[in-house]
Amino acid sequence: MKVMFLGTSSGAGKTTVAALYCRYLHKKGISVVPFKASNLSNSAFITKDGYEIGMGQAFQAWVSGVEPSNDMNPVLLKPSGNGFIQLIVNGEAQTVSDADPMDRKAVMKKACEAFDRLSYKYDAVVCEGSGSPAELNLLDKDLANTGMMRERRIPAVLVGDIERGGVFAALYGTWLLMPEDVRPLLKGFIINRFRGDPTILGDAVDKIKELTGMEFIGTIPYAYLRFPEEDSLSESGGKLEGPTLIDAFIGNADSLLETAEDYGLDLKKIEDISSS
Amino acid sequence: MTAIHKMQSYYPNIMMHLPDNMDNITKKVREEIERGWIGPDKSCPYHPCHFTGQDCTFCYCPFYPCMDEDLGTSIRSKRGSDIWDCSYCLFIHRQEVGKYAMSEIKRMGISDPKDPRIRDILTEAKARFHRKGKTIMVLGATSDAGKSIAVAALCRILHRKGYLVAPFKSQNMSLNSKVTRKGFEIAMIQTLQSKAAGLKNPDQYMNPILLKPKGDAVSQVIVKGEPYGDYNVKDYYGKFVPGPGTEIVRGTVGFLKNRYDVVVMEGAGSPAEINIYNRDIANIGAAKIADAPCLLVVNVEWGGAFAYAVGTINLIPEEDRKRIKGIILNNIRGDVSKIAPGAKEVERILGIPVIGLVPHIELELPQEDSEALRDMKSKGSGNMKISVIRLPRISNFTDIDPLYLEDTTVKFITEPEELAGSGAIIIPGTKNTVEDLMWMKEKGLDKAILEQRGRVPILGICGGYQMMGRSLEDPNGIECGRPGTYEGLGLFDNVTRWGEYKKRTVLDEGVLLKTGGPVTGYEIHMGISEIVEKPLFSIERFTGNETEGSVREKEMLFGTYLHGVLEKPSFRRFFLSFVKGGENILSTSEPRDYDDLVEENLEKLASAFEKSMDVGKLMEILGEEQ
Repeated sequence: MKVMFLGTSSGAGKTTVAALYCRYLHKKGISVVPFKASNLSNSAFITKDGYEIGMGQAFQAWVSGVEPSNDMNPVLLKPSGNGFIQLIVNGEAQTVSDADPMDRKAVMKKACEAFDRLSYKYDAVVCEGSGSPAELNLLDKDLANTGMMRERRIPAVLVGDIERGGVFAALYGTWLLMPEDVRPLLKGFIINRFRGDPTILGDAVDKIKELTGMEFIGTIPYAYLRFPEEDSLSESGGKLEGPTLIDAFIGNADSLLETAEDYGLDLKKIEDISSS
Repeated sequence: MTAIHKMQSYYPNIMMHLPDNMDNITKKVREEIERGWIGPDKSCPYHPCHFTGQDCTFCYCPFYPCMDEDLGTSIRSKRGSDIWDCSYCLFIHRQEVGKYAMSEIKRMGISDPKDPRIRDILTEAKARFHRKGKTIMVLGATSDAGKSIAVAALCRILHRKGYLVAPFKSQNMSLNSKVTRKGFEIAMIQTLQSKAAGLKNPDQYMNPILLKPKGDAVSQVIVKGEPYGDYNVKDYYGKFVPGPGTEIVRGTVGFLKNRYDVVVMEGAGSPAEINIYNRDIANIGAAKIADAPCLLVVNVEWGGAFAYAVGTINLIPEEDRKRIKGIILNNIRGDVSKIAPGAKEVERILGIPVIGLVPHIELELPQEDSEALRDMKSKGSGNMKISVIRLPRISNFTDIDPLYLEDTTVKFITEPEELAGSGAIIIPGTKNTVEDLMWMKEKGLDKAILEQRGRVPILGICGGYQMMGRSLEDPNGIECGRPGTYEGLGLFDNVTRWGEYKKRTVLDEGVLLKTGGPVTGYEIHMGISEIVEKPLFSIERFTGNETEGSVREKEMLFGTYLHGVLEKPSFRRFFLSFVKGGENILSTSEPRDYDDLVEENLEKLASAFEKSMDVGKLMEILGEEQ
């Protein structure tokens, strides 16, 4: 099983939804592992064997009941200021210029190898995209979104954030801008950070289904899923409780999963997409 | 100068009951004719009383009463008689009109203001100089796309080019409102935009529908500056919008088009919310009513900007889509040129030009809504530590902004322990005084504040001022939905009572009694306080002076209904002088008026937009060929 969660923007809730789905599969007894081909973040987690990976994947590993490992995030880009970024591939660090960050082909190969190792070991690989997959000026350089989807034919679910408004436009626009060979892989969409009565969405959801052929997975209520800060746009603050910090995060994920399912988020549909 | 005298010279035409005071106008016009053309009168203490660059030749209009509905309007006075009201008319203050009228009067050798030929001059002046204003609408792909800022920038850019410009937002949902000089309540951001347009006095037509959320999906609906009723989402879209809403938008935008060269309209949220598309009078609905071409602003910062742009435009029905004439990609961080290839591609896909690639601009301007406060724990890193109680229903939180002009660190606090080490405490305004007082008590913030009594200065503004009193009486449940009497913080002996559903909205100008320094502000509140404390301010009223606020200097307690009270330096510095070491800290910098800071930032904003936009294209979209 494999699936990719894409976001219509940064902070749309990809990390959260991927974590919830990991948790859902783990609770069903399916062996599951998170994966994000490439991460642009200065907030890194050091694995037990000393590799740096994105904090989001470490968190997703915990809720999946597995130990974070470097394959879960083979490429990490850490902006070091002055137009330079540190590129970390499978633990090996090198400093490159922002203008020409990396040999995309070589890095893509490394990412695919990591993905393949994970799919061999686990029943389900839950992938997360990076930023928006529809950045027209970056499409040919994309690694984590359309890049991985194309290489490994990964079906995808699009997550839109309703809080800022324009969510239907964001979902439809992203679908429209996807390269034609990848577009058929977009199978479903989720509306995140929803408040109030879902019936006010009215025919709009049906309209998006009709225009794109994507399936509607459901809405996720406005709630903060707490996890160690992954990117500069995510929420911070508030209190969590548990014997350890990890337990506290897992507990929080469990309660959000329950709320989201009560709210009508149909994770079974994602399971079907993952198996397709 | 008495208040009455001042009002009459300031707004010469509002107060006249025809024909009661007509003789006075005639006398003034005769003097003006003798004096001849003067253009802008920078020597007048009230200049510019209408707009920057106005013509002051005819402070009293020679055409009064013109009875021309394009210019003035007939209103019913409190005494029951009809008055010709031209307080919204700017026609005679356009330089070309003032100059033309005077030159014609001179040419014809007219010296008597009652000369019937003056009427003909108006007819000719109208034919030459009066035209219906153009409109342009700024839509945003999301909330926070930068619409309000873009409207402010366009207002200033057009104002610089010599146009008479009005901002307009048909429907605004915000708890941050302000009061016009006539006592009408409109969204704060439209008052900021009107300042950008060079206007002295924003009016209620610029934001005819203001929604003030009260919780539980219910909003107080303010129409043309006055409370209209409470609506839930369903009734608002089901009853209000198709009923009075549409007509209100039509009437107000038409009113502005008659009086301004350009009306720069702002949308609300996204125009592509297809679930409410046909009931939306805030976006394309308003653009259709006003026959406005539209620009779409997209915030690039969050990513997905191209998708938002393409999706928004494609979800708008085809017949309306052609209104969208340009796209502005806003808030670009880093190298702007990197995004250019994507922008080209969007132009190709949509067939709509990208007319602006606007970089991120650091600005000190009042923010539209309290979402901006959500993640803000503190601001500044100065020596005076000011704690602001972050009330859940905080309103007019921009009251705090002028503190950033001083050497302060402002902390927004929600827990009692955070008060430790504060140099001063401010309890701000709230949409619901009683509920937020309860919240403070639950948190133990009431006790924590009382512990600081006499140690640090404490200031309550509006709702915060009401809370500082001895008790709050709400016998009819007007403030919080259920009748009751509540114990206040008891810092003052004042009692506030919500006797009837009545809102006070008034613009205030006066002095700080202690120093005589000027103070300005505006009141927006329900509930009337019985004040037994020593007053803080003296406010000039039409009917004479009134006192306002409460002060106990020894205990360092200050309270006022005046929003914006910290904008002028007099009271701001007086209050901060009570902070430990405050006087020394303040002595190291010159006092500044917040208004000047806003003006500087509006200039900066407009220049940044001008530089990163195709202004020629903008003028072409507007139908103003250069």
